[in-house]
Amino acid sequence: MKGIIFTEFLEMVEEKFGLEVADQILENTSLESGGVYTAVGTYDFNEMVSLLTALSQTVEMDPGSLLYAFGHYLFGGLGKAHPEVIASYKDPLELIYGIEDHIHVQVRKLYPEAQLPTFTILDRNPDHLTLVYQSERGLYAIAHGLMESCFQHFDQHAQVTYKLLEPNGTKVEFQIVRNG
Amino acid sequence: MAENRIEILERALERQKKARRQAESILEVKSRELFDTARQLKEANEQLEGLLSEKTAELQGIFVNIVDPYVVMDTYGNVIRMNSAAKEFLGFDHAKNPKNLTELVHPDYEQYTRDSLRQLFRDGFLKNYVARIQVAPGHEPFVQINGSVIYDRDNKPVAAQGIIRDITREREAADLIREQKQQLDIIVDHSPLGIVLTVDGQIIKANHAFEVLTGYPHQEVIGKKLASLSTPEDPDLGARLEREMARGTRDTYHLVKRYVRADGRNILAKATVSAVRDKNGKEVYRVKILEDITRQREAELKIHASESRLSNLIENLNTAVLLEDQDRKIALTNQQFCDIFGITAPPESLKGYDCDTAARQSMGLFEDENGFLDRIDEILKARELVHGEELLLKDGRILERDYIPIYSDEHYQGHLWTYSDVTLPRLYKQTIEQERNKYGSIIANMNLGMIEVDLDDTIQMVNKRFSQMSGYGETELLGQTATEILRVSNKEIIPEMLERRKKGYSDSYEVEVATKKGERKYWLVSGAPRYDEKGRLAGTIGIHLDVTMQKELEAQKELLLKELQASNRELSEYAHIVSHDLKSPLRSVNALVSWMQEDYRDKLGPEGQLQLQMMQDKIEGMDHLIDDILRYSSIQQDAAAQEEVDLNQVVSNIREIIFIPDHVRIVIMDELPVIRAIPAQMHQLFQNLLSNAVTHIENPEGLVTVGCRDIGDFWEFYVEDNGVGIPPEYHQKIFQMFQSISGKRKGTGIGLSIVKKITELHGGEVRVASTPGQGTTFTFTIRKQ
Repeated sequence: MKGIIFTEFLEMVEEKFGLEVADQILENTSLESGGVYTAVGTYDFNEMVSLLTALSQTVEMDPGSLLYAFGHYLFGGLGKAHPEVIASYKDPLELIYGIEDHIHVQVRKLYPEAQLPTFTILDRNPDHLTLVYQSERGLYAIAHGLMESCFQHFDQHAQVTYKLLEPNGTKVEFQIVRNG
Repeated sequence: MAENRIEILERALERQKKARRQAESILEVKSRELFDTARQLKEANEQLEGLLSEKTAELQGIFVNIVDPYVVMDTYGNVIRMNSAAKEFLGFDHAKNPKNLTELVHPDYEQYTRDSLRQLFRDGFLKNYVARIQVAPGHEPFVQINGSVIYDRDNKPVAAQGIIRDITREREAADLIREQKQQLDIIVDHSPLGIVLTVDGQIIKANHAFEVLTGYPHQEVIGKKLASLSTPEDPDLGARLEREMARGTRDTYHLVKRYVRADGRNILAKATVSAVRDKNGKEVYRVKILEDITRQREAELKIHASESRLSNLIENLNTAVLLEDQDRKIALTNQQFCDIFGITAPPESLKGYDCDTAARQSMGLFEDENGFLDRIDEILKARELVHGEELLLKDGRILERDYIPIYSDEHYQGHLWTYSDVTLPRLYKQTIEQERNKYGSIIANMNLGMIEVDLDDTIQMVNKRFSQMSGYGETELLGQTATEILRVSNKEIIPEMLERRKKGYSDSYEVEVATKKGERKYWLVSGAPRYDEKGRLAGTIGIHLDVTMQKELEAQKELLLKELQASNRELSEYAHIVSHDLKSPLRSVNALVSWMQEDYRDKLGPEGQLQLQMMQDKIEGMDHLIDDILRYSSIQQDAAAQEEVDLNQVVSNIREIIFIPDHVRIVIMDELPVIRAIPAQMHQLFQNLLSNAVTHIENPEGLVTVGCRDIGDFWEFYVEDNGVGIPPEYHQKIFQMFQSISGKRKGTGIGLSIVKKITELHGGEVRVASTPGQGTTFTFTIRKQ
């Protein structure tokens, strides 16, 4: 898993729950990397699972909600890291539509080894998009948060609903409807 | 708390330092990798540039010196470079006369060219573009172009290059070959003969006729082993030819093969098999051409059967047949021919024999020897049908000859002679005429009256005798009703007889008629049905015999017989009366003489007594005479009194009864038969003969023999003695009444008359043979019953 996800996650923990909580989960979790993450590195996905589990226990919140919140946070982090990507879109739906064919292509140029989820477009019109998230990781809640943040970024509102196509969340259908 | 917070921050700072170092080392590694890659790329680029320039120089040399036209055009088709061959071939120089290549394309190929260009710029190359172009008026060659796109450094197509080949000739040649192949295919496919191409016996190509022949669809035929479909009619011949083919000593052969069709039927096909060999003599293909000869074969068989039937017919024909071929050699002849000309050899052995020679050999048979030969030459020269020519043979036979020339498709093939012996038919007519005359004269002159009547009893014909018998002339009789004119008194039997004749019976009956003069006549009629030429009953023919005379004689005879019977009866009665009346006074006389002898013995003296004795003897003789006459007259035929009589027994009894002198013996020589007769008569017969025989023997050793022999319908008996014999002048007399030649012993002279009467009553006769002094033989016969 790319290091930027870890660094953004820990920044969110510091920001939302304070340095103590961040330190606590890092110190109390046995991590192969020793809790040292850099955005350009790559780390074991299980470390993220351990960190999430530790946070969930520490702050007594369910992991799904934490991931959903992380999704919201991550959009901002990614936007700061690669502003030109977001700047090239004028419409949130356009951006979401371009994830697979545009954004992920650029990601692979930098990180050929990156393991990315796939987004398959089922239906698209100017105010509506239906797509299927697919990933071994099952982190669809992050995607959910990212999508909502995207609309917030463009000062727009949308109704994002989803339905699990697989119970473990490795395959999820999203319905995005623009409001107003 | 502050202290704790510091610890946390220190730990966070430591993590950040480590992360920075980690990130720096990652970036260093990445930088190094990037540097290495850049250097490798530079080297590769240099190498490629070198290679490219080399290749470019090389290619330029090739293109300039290339024999085939080479052209480079821009993306719009304008020529930007061309070699001298191209200039020559396309007929322009782009430097002097810029031209767009698409203008050269023949209108038929415009769409194809557009598509091909699109393909060229899409794929970067184009292979085997073939089109017709117009280079000059009247010159429109076919070209083949292989081309590729030229790109600039940005991989943008800027031009295309191509090598042009003039394939007009090739194409013409290919067209020709294709055309020829098509023609060949048409021929092969429409051939009525089955054609197959095989490799190692496996069918790789077969035409439609072969599929029809075998009944297998195309897809089943291909790949099949031909041998699985067929067997040679003559397997030995097939194997031999196959061996020669495999050795290479034979390239083609013909063979009749039997094919099993898909539907299981068998067909016969004549196969022509040819091997197609490469230049080393190795077999590459085998071509088999098959002709279905099933029907042909059937037809041949039928022809053969019909020929054999025909020749059978000819052989057994009652007409002599001689078939000659155009060289006058015998092609066919039959037994009848050999029979007529007296040829002993069998007809089949004459085949091929020269007919001219044969004619010269047989000329001796004919009445006109040279005429026979000359006529043959004449007929053969004319070659025209000759019918019913008569030939006279020296032996009296007459032959009738026909000549039939045989043509096939206007060509003379030979000829047929037929001879029939017409001697009998020729003579037949003559013979019939003779027969008619013969029978006509018999009918006319026979002593029988003949009459022919139709079904209504109308007289159709009479002969001369009939006219005489009836007293009417022929003209008076013809057309009259027979029963009426002849006044047949018993005509009621006529219809009955007519009915019988209608059924085809002949019969015979008597009619009573009256002649013209009114005399009653009795005719015996034999009638027979008469049929007309169509075999229908047309009337009757009657043959009449005048039996009036016989009829009268018969009536007289019957009358006489009755009279005779009456007189016989009277005579018999008379004999009895007479003998009784004669015997009665005789017995009285005899009694009186006896009394006289007894009463007057002494007075009469010896003289008187002797005279009385003599008187008594005469009376005795008189008594015998009367008995014999009575016996004779009482001998009559009486069938009721007949019984089986053993003659041996009869003779034995007689031997005991009659007086036989001591010196005489009676011997039965043969076993005598047992016959059916009246015993008393047989006894009388033998007694009379034997008494006569033993009486007249003076020979000291008297011998009387009795014998018998079977002479068919009669028994013949004899009684022979060695006595005194009878003089010839008495041989007739002795059988007459009261004739006795004996002086010695008293006889009545009736004995042999009785013998004669008895034998005659038995259908026989008696005769005598005698030599005086030596003996007498009486022979008599008795009819067997």
